[in-house]
Amino acid sequence: MNITGWSPLAISVWVSLWAGLAALVLGTGLAWVLAKTHFRGNWLLEGLTLLALVLPPTVLGYYLLMIFGQQGLGPWLETWLNLRVVFAWPGAVLAASVAALPLVVQTVRISFAEISHEIEDAASVDGCNRWQLFVRINLPLAWRGIAAGGLLGFLRALGEFGATLMVAGNIPGRTRTLSMAVYDAVQTNDMALANQLVLLLTLLAFGGLFVVMRLNKVIARG
Amino acid sequence: MNRRKQPFLRAFLPFALLLILATACGQASGAPLAPPGGFAPLEIPIKTELTVAAASDLQFALSEIATLYEQDHGVAVTLVFGSTGQLAQHVENGAPYDLLAAADLATIDNLAQKGLLIAETVRLYARGYIVLAVNRQAGVQALSLEDLLSPQIRYVAIANPDHAPYGRAAMQALQAVRLWESLQAKLVMGENIRQTLQYVQSGDAQVGIVSRSIADVPEVTWTMIDEALYPPLDQAMAVLAASPQPEEAEAFSGFINSEPGRQILLRYGFILPVEADSHTSGNLAP
Repeated sequence: MNITGWSPLAISVWVSLWAGLAALVLGTGLAWVLAKTHFRGNWLLEGLTLLALVLPPTVLGYYLLMIFGQQGLGPWLETWLNLRVVFAWPGAVLAASVAALPLVVQTVRISFAEISHEIEDAASVDGCNRWQLFVRINLPLAWRGIAAGGLLGFLRALGEFGATLMVAGNIPGRTRTLSMAVYDAVQTNDMALANQLVLLLTLLAFGGLFVVMRLNKVIARG
Repeated sequence: MNRRKQPFLRAFLPFALLLILATACGQASGAPLAPPGGFAPLEIPIKTELTVAAASDLQFALSEIATLYEQDHGVAVTLVFGSTGQLAQHVENGAPYDLLAAADLATIDNLAQKGLLIAETVRLYARGYIVLAVNRQAGVQALSLEDLLSPQIRYVAIANPDHAPYGRAAMQALQAVRLWESLQAKLVMGENIRQTLQYVQSGDAQVGIVSRSIADVPEVTWTMIDEALYPPLDQAMAVLAASPQPEEAEAFSGFINSEPGRQILLRYGFILPVEADSHTSGNLAP
């Protein structure tokens, strides 16, 4: 997909949708494994999923650059899959989804954990296997948490900056997202543009958070 | 069923509205990159799109040259600004640039040796200078580097000498007058020379050492720094070996060094290398 020439807003939405979706699918799976299964080394998996939350974005960016750049898989991906990651929008998606993953996992995991064992046991007695349990019992009962997790992931992706700058660069019309555009506007002392972009991002973030809180029933419905 | 779905939809409504609103706003004003006039490119097909990575001291001059080139040649030029070191790192990691205009010659030579730039396209295009820039509102006087010692001056902005040639020149000048050590506590470092200027424009740093080429902004007054204090800032450019359109990139590089390009560079205080100085063989020149 060629997105050359898109505005920062369009690039941001495009990148965040993919990143949020990737983080949602992977995160829901991981959350289920963490909440519903018990195995040795559980803590290691949990630690790894949380790592992106506490690591400096520059460290994340560095890892991604090393793995997917010219010294890593870059040439291979380009030859075999015709996929350019570094300094292209897939790189921005990659950085944003890694950053979004821990938020999704944590949010979804809580709603999986809240499903009572009695319901699951009853389903098992009725002949549900693990996969059916996941699809027919866990997913429908945890939908609020999953929706909230996906939305949080999208919002986090929308706000991703540090790792994205390192992996995707800041190329106008290709990888310049809204948060990059803010950085650029301030650097070039274009405060009018910076104000607009900052307001826009704040509104988007707050609007999204409002929905997340409604989903989590933090805000009671009137 | 309906009762359960209702709150979900109602909860999403404000968010959806915001998104729609934001998209509308973006098209109206927040989209500085959209071509002026909306759908103009559909009517006038643009043949080529060039991506040019340029040192931040070129922010004003090269933007003007690129606009002129776009008008005259129907080529869309996208400019990516950064410090020379950052852009070189991008090039090493395979960034999709066609032309790299650095703020020094060493970086270009180095990348050309590694085979990342086409050696035959290396061209000198300007010599730059550093100036001492002072924020007009700051209420401080700084006409010479020695003035920086004044206790009234709390912060002095320079570009990061590790990867920005103009930052390195600032460091060398301060070392030459033996102030580098004593000013350490006052130094704040911009990621590139444009950000360094912004620190001074905003007044967060009262003074800074920036390139002459970006110093003509309303918030700032400036004084030249003695050229003898730092090695000459000879700036070179070259076409990337990975560029899918080296001829087009070379043509733009030629335009920068042509009469209209030079006129603009001169206006921003660059001194131009004489033709004999620039070691281009012109293999790819049209």
